[in-house]
Amino acid sequence: MNQAFRFALRDLRGSKAGLRLLAVCLFLGVMTLAAIGSLSSAILSELSTRGQVILGGDIQMEASQRYASPEERGAFDAVGDLSETVRMRAMASTEDGSTAVLSELKGVDSAYPLYGRLRLERGALALRPTGNQVAIAPALAEKLGVTTGGTLRIGDARLRIIGIIAEEPDRVGEGFTLGPVAMVDMDGIKATALVQPGSLFTTRYRIKTPRGVNPAKTAAALSSAFPGAGWEVQDRSNGAPGTRRFIERLGQFLALVGLSSLVIAGIGVGNGVASWLDGKRTSIATFKVLGSSSKTIFQIYLFQLIMVAGFAIFSGLAVGALAPWAIATFAGDALPVAPTLAIFPAPLITSAAFGVLIALLFSLAPLARAHSVTAASLFRTTVEGARRPTIAVSAAMAIIAVAIILIAVLTAPQPLFAALFIACVLGLLILLTGLGIAIQAGAARLPRPRRPILRLAFANLHRPGAQTSRLVVALGLGLTLFSTLAFVQTNLARQIESAIPKRAPSFFALDIPKEEEGRFRRAVLAAAPTAVIATVPTLRGPVVALGDKRVAEMKDIPEAAWFLRGDRGLTFASKLPQGSRVVAGKWWPENYAGPPLVSVDERAADAVGLKIGDRMTVSVLGVEIEAQIASLREINWDTMGFNFVLVFSPGSLDAAPYTLAATIAADGARETQVARAVSTGFPAVSMIKVKDVITQVGALLGQLGSAVGIAASVAVLAGIAVLVGAIAASRRTRSYDAVILKMLGASRGQVLMAQATEYALLALILSVIALLIGGVAGWFVVTRIFELGWSPGWSVIALTIAGGGFGTLILGLIGALPALNARPAEALRSL
Amino acid sequence: MPTPHIVMNARNVTLTLGKEDARVDILRGVNLTVTAGETIALLGASGSGKSSLMAVLAGLERASGGSIEIAGADFGALDEDGLALARRGRIGIILQAFHLLPTMTALENVAVPLELAGNSDAFARAAEELALVGLANRAGHYPVQLSGGEQQRVAIARALAPSPALIFADEPTGNLDAATGDAVMDLLFERQAQSGATLFIITHDQALAARCNRVVEMKDGQIISDVMSGTIAS
Repeated sequence: MNQAFRFALRDLRGSKAGLRLLAVCLFLGVMTLAAIGSLSSAILSELSTRGQVILGGDIQMEASQRYASPEERGAFDAVGDLSETVRMRAMASTEDGSTAVLSELKGVDSAYPLYGRLRLERGALALRPTGNQVAIAPALAEKLGVTTGGTLRIGDARLRIIGIIAEEPDRVGEGFTLGPVAMVDMDGIKATALVQPGSLFTTRYRIKTPRGVNPAKTAAALSSAFPGAGWEVQDRSNGAPGTRRFIERLGQFLALVGLSSLVIAGIGVGNGVASWLDGKRTSIATFKVLGSSSKTIFQIYLFQLIMVAGFAIFSGLAVGALAPWAIATFAGDALPVAPTLAIFPAPLITSAAFGVLIALLFSLAPLARAHSVTAASLFRTTVEGARRPTIAVSAAMAIIAVAIILIAVLTAPQPLFAALFIACVLGLLILLTGLGIAIQAGAARLPRPRRPILRLAFANLHRPGAQTSRLVVALGLGLTLFSTLAFVQTNLARQIESAIPKRAPSFFALDIPKEEEGRFRRAVLAAAPTAVIATVPTLRGPVVALGDKRVAEMKDIPEAAWFLRGDRGLTFASKLPQGSRVVAGKWWPENYAGPPLVSVDERAADAVGLKIGDRMTVSVLGVEIEAQIASLREINWDTMGFNFVLVFSPGSLDAAPYTLAATIAADGARETQVARAVSTGFPAVSMIKVKDVITQVGALLGQLGSAVGIAASVAVLAGIAVLVGAIAASRRTRSYDAVILKMLGASRGQVLMAQATEYALLALILSVIALLIGGVAGWFVVTRIFELGWSPGWSVIALTIAGGGFGTLILGLIGALPALNARPAEALRSL
Repeated sequence: MPTPHIVMNARNVTLTLGKEDARVDILRGVNLTVTAGETIALLGASGSGKSSLMAVLAGLERASGGSIEIAGADFGALDEDGLALARRGRIGIILQAFHLLPTMTALENVAVPLELAGNSDAFARAAEELALVGLANRAGHYPVQLSGGEQQRVAIARALAPSPALIFADEPTGNLDAATGDAVMDLLFERQAQSGATLFIITHDQALAARCNRVVEMKDGQIISDVMSGTIAS
């Protein structure tokens, strides 16, 4: 066995306590990364492996506001087994019309589902609905207060509830819905009479391909067979693209927060290694006295570090890899799909690589210092300040740092976002380091207080070997993350609760037949005489071409050009819509009657480089309409009105069958009457209660906030580990201070006061830093990214920051207790 | 009479520590020649430069000027690692605070210099050496489980195990009571006589100095007297 390794094994016997901080920090950081990576891989794997079930077939062809033509249907049928479904929003009401709830009406044929199984809860009256029967989601049963055997109304149909849906196999693939599902068969759809020309419904044709047929190729062939028909095509490899994108992005964001935590943990690693090696100075010098070379000494301590770090990293990976099991057991409902319970090597390898590199990055400098301890230090007590690392060590550290950044950026689904995030964290680290140094230097320049306890507290902030600057970085980063989160979350909550509802209408009403507008207005006004009703014409259709370029042939559609994906809501107007401002070109005259013109959202136009005068083509019910861009608009998206990316000039779309959408602002006390009046008088009209949407969005934001909060709390935990380490590292000098103070007649209370004052000063400084930097970061996120008004909830923020500061103070004092209890005579003997 | 074999020759050795305003001249032109088998006591007040001279002569610190030749090796030309290599097997060091490795047993502590020198029978020789200092039954004990006198005996065994030509002892009884200190010194002189090594002791203790055959006294970084007082051990 290698000599250095043998010595390392022997030396490790007494080193475990010293290396505990290193182990804790690495364990925490690696566990977080491994858990985040494993969980997102588990969800993505489930989305991939169950792609057929989630999509409902190997191939899905989706169209808006129309059924497949016999020719198209024939082509789909020729590929494999075919299943047809129809989906639309519809109001479901109790038999007497007293309660009406927005639901997702889903009509299925007898072939549904091609994959998976439709399962109803125990006690169902039939296996699947037929004719005037309906199976409903548990949420719909709860909202309407109905059960199996009861009846409900959708459109013109009176439907018997045959059971509550326990499992809808293609639920995830259906995407975001505003209401719970009500499932009928195709006769049921006919009975509702809701599918009319112009009404907003979607048809989906799922195909089960025979073995040996490549779904992606077949899907592409079908798509090109009907180029202008506006089919949205998907194959099983990507059953739920929206969910996949969301999980990928959330996973990436959390992983970056986790990496920031690992960097903080790295500071703990550095501190732990430095204080451990400081305690080893005598041993190192003794090894040298006995003839050991610097290289052997470096190896002896490097081997020990590798062993302990390896154990910590392995433990972190093991616990992190179990995250999918833990989350599935305790918080399974919050996930879009049940995660695949397996070990995912890729995120574990990345996490381990980060752990090893961070451990190396932060322990190289103290290891190099140990390397240069002289044998003569046994004879002379020297105060060796933190020497600057040599050029070779600095270069090695720089290479490791670059490797960490490269791995983070290259493994990210969105490298640019990852790079920006890392740049921000680096900037924050540099800022905090500068602040830490400034605070230490500032404390040294302050006039000496006359009271000895206060003088000692100030001196502890800047004495040689003081940990102030490291603590400012470690705790500052964690607290700043938390404070930023508090700023963003409270701001969003306040926007949702107060600012938006003031301007928001009570209801959105969709699918109002245009010829019924007058009757609709009268019905609403009869129920709520002061109600304000605004209507806009709506149609749906995809953008099929930009100039001469077909969207279907565009390879990389940029992220911001989301309006090119699938169907969009379209409208036409003679006047500029409220909440919009023309930033380029000119709005058409009110009585314009020329060739079709279109006004485009400025950001959407920027995303694909559209300019005034360019042409774009939309497809409405299979008819292509080309229009010239007349103006670009800036849209205020938080007005809670109807905002359309594309607004056409009058006369462009009027010929197509369209319906009206309305916003109804009614007195809160009359909302129930309005809902009842519309659901009984207009069964085809969908009423979306704005409060419900806000609650749903609020709940989603709350879940996101919790996820980010958990990841950020690991940063705080790592910061606490650094604090505990810093306290342990300075225990000797603190014990010395306490003993000398007691020898000179100070009471335990006075000694405690000195420590409390020091940590109170530190906590105050950290709180101010977290407040300032968190405030700026929060303001940026809220006003620049979410583009919302700035109205943070100061009380929650103050509580968050005060909690962080108070925690620092308490932990500091707990750490100081052993020094406080030292008996002078006993301690002086051992000092 | 045969010419005595010179084991150490120091010429005009200087040592300056600190920089600029904090510069201190610790050693100021020390000349010393030592022959094999001598027992030398180095006396002097605190701050006279005794320990620094020992550190420089033992290769624990590089001199700022002058030349030092020990057992044929030019210490002035060696770097930190070169000095460590030169010490192996040539020089044994005993310190006032013992400085045993706390994580290793008595036996392992004694074996370390032998292992570093690449001896394949390091542990057997270490066990023999421990037996010679009367600690065979304490071989598996850690430093914290040993008394001060026992720790210093382990340190003596560790210093003598590689059979060095030169043994340096810096205030070896400084941390021990009088009776234990005497017993330890008896052991050290006995082992030195058995091995024939040159013994270099730094001490304040005149009685201990009287047991050496040469007494060198230092003041302000210089040797002020160098007196032969007895016979050289054969």
